[in-house]
Amino acid sequence: MSYGVKVGEHLVSPDGNWYWDGVAQQWVPKPIAPGVAGVAYEAPRHHAAPPRAQSGKGLSSFTGSVRSEDLVFGQTVLVWARWILIGTGLVLSFWSPSDLHMLQVQLAAIIALAFGNFYLHVQLLRGHPAIDNIVYAASVADLCVVTALVLVQGGYSSPVFIFYFAAVVGISVAFPTLLTAGYTAAVVVVYGIICLSTAPPEEFPAVFTRLLMIAAVAACGNVFARNESHRREEAARAHEELLDEPADRAAEEHANQPVAPA
Amino acid sequence: MQNVREVRTADQANLEDLFFGQTVILWARWSVIVAGIVLVLWTSTTVTHLTQTVPFFLALMAMNFFLHGRYVMGSPLNRVAVMVASFVDLVLITAIVALWPGSHGLDNQFFVLYFPVVFAFALVFTRQIEAAYTVIAIVAYAAACLLTGTVHLDLGNDVKVLVMRAIVIAAMGFLGNYYFRIQRDRLARASRGATSGVEAMMASSVPARQPVRR
Repeated sequence: MSYGVKVGEHLVSPDGNWYWDGVAQQWVPKPIAPGVAGVAYEAPRHHAAPPRAQSGKGLSSFTGSVRSEDLVFGQTVLVWARWILIGTGLVLSFWSPSDLHMLQVQLAAIIALAFGNFYLHVQLLRGHPAIDNIVYAASVADLCVVTALVLVQGGYSSPVFIFYFAAVVGISVAFPTLLTAGYTAAVVVVYGIICLSTAPPEEFPAVFTRLLMIAAVAACGNVFARNESHRREEAARAHEELLDEPADRAAEEHANQPVAPA
Repeated sequence: MQNVREVRTADQANLEDLFFGQTVILWARWSVIVAGIVLVLWTSTTVTHLTQTVPFFLALMAMNFFLHGRYVMGSPLNRVAVMVASFVDLVLITAIVALWPGSHGLDNQFFVLYFPVVFAFALVFTRQIEAAYTVIAIVAYAAACLLTGTVHLDLGNDVKVLVMRAIVIAAMGFLGNYYFRIQRDRLARASRGATSGVEAMMASSVPARQPVRR
């Protein structure tokens, strides 16, 4: 099976921007001038410029202008946390299912989450981390899915609330402090209301423990991320000082030299 | 020409990891202590119950005061001391799960105390140590559930719930340590004066979009 279309003597990629150089055994961007042969070279539209992320269509619609470096690195944790949520959710859905309606809701939510996470993971692998707003929206989707599963399974009695922890871990290390606090507060408030309305009063201590631990996990993750950020700043500053040392020493030696006679 | 010598040695970096990471473990332990004391005060129905359970948390509190004091004074604890303290956390939480009056084992809802402790530990130690700690936590919880007779090995709903909880404990350890390793790499880059890698990632869009050779 061929990858692209063959024009003249060259194999051209489906997007028309690359051709296969058989001598060098690699894909080469098509030249500006129509040259080698064939129909594919008749319209040299924007071949000189490197391919850019398209803003309106395709897999790269939501990628390209990342604003936060911490979020880029945190995205991988978020993506893996979501895969754990999806994988565990799928396994447990098929483990002694009882109610058809519940199973339908579970599978629909998990599969939708899997598609979204696949998209985000592919973008990471391609070196195009998603922009901040998409990551924030994906985390909202995580929390909504867990909340939906909790509600479907009876609120307080649902065992799937523990997936809040995996979601909050990813959020706490990837997002800035204010956003982490906002997301965590939203989880605590929403899940707290659900529990208080569905749990018997004698279980309120357990509700309190769950909510406190969700907040604790978020705090731990965010404190660590902030500590590391400060350490990196210190390390970069120390490195700068190390680089400046020889120049300073040379300038000092030069200043201490006796003045040359005129 | 740029000097690429690192500003810290590997040993120094490890000590720094331990020192700066301790704060996360300390705060995780404070959260467990606060939760425990509130629970004891809230759920105690007799004086005997209260006097039997509070001393555990008071002991943990004293230990954490000492550790936090050392941290604030800037005198780092050695690795073994931090690990022993974290192990004590696991013992205490397992004891709560197994022995708490009223509900034991799988029916005990305080298993969530494992989550911040395992997560915080994973943010401080290397992969092997973290993996061992996480496995110990899972085994301890599973043993507490099995020994109290609240889980029956018939692959029924209780096993399903136990597996679910064990997976999330493992996820706490894995995700924490994964992030820890990302941060180590970023710190090493910063120490060398190298770029963070994001610029390279964004600049690498041309090869990234190149069709794959078949």
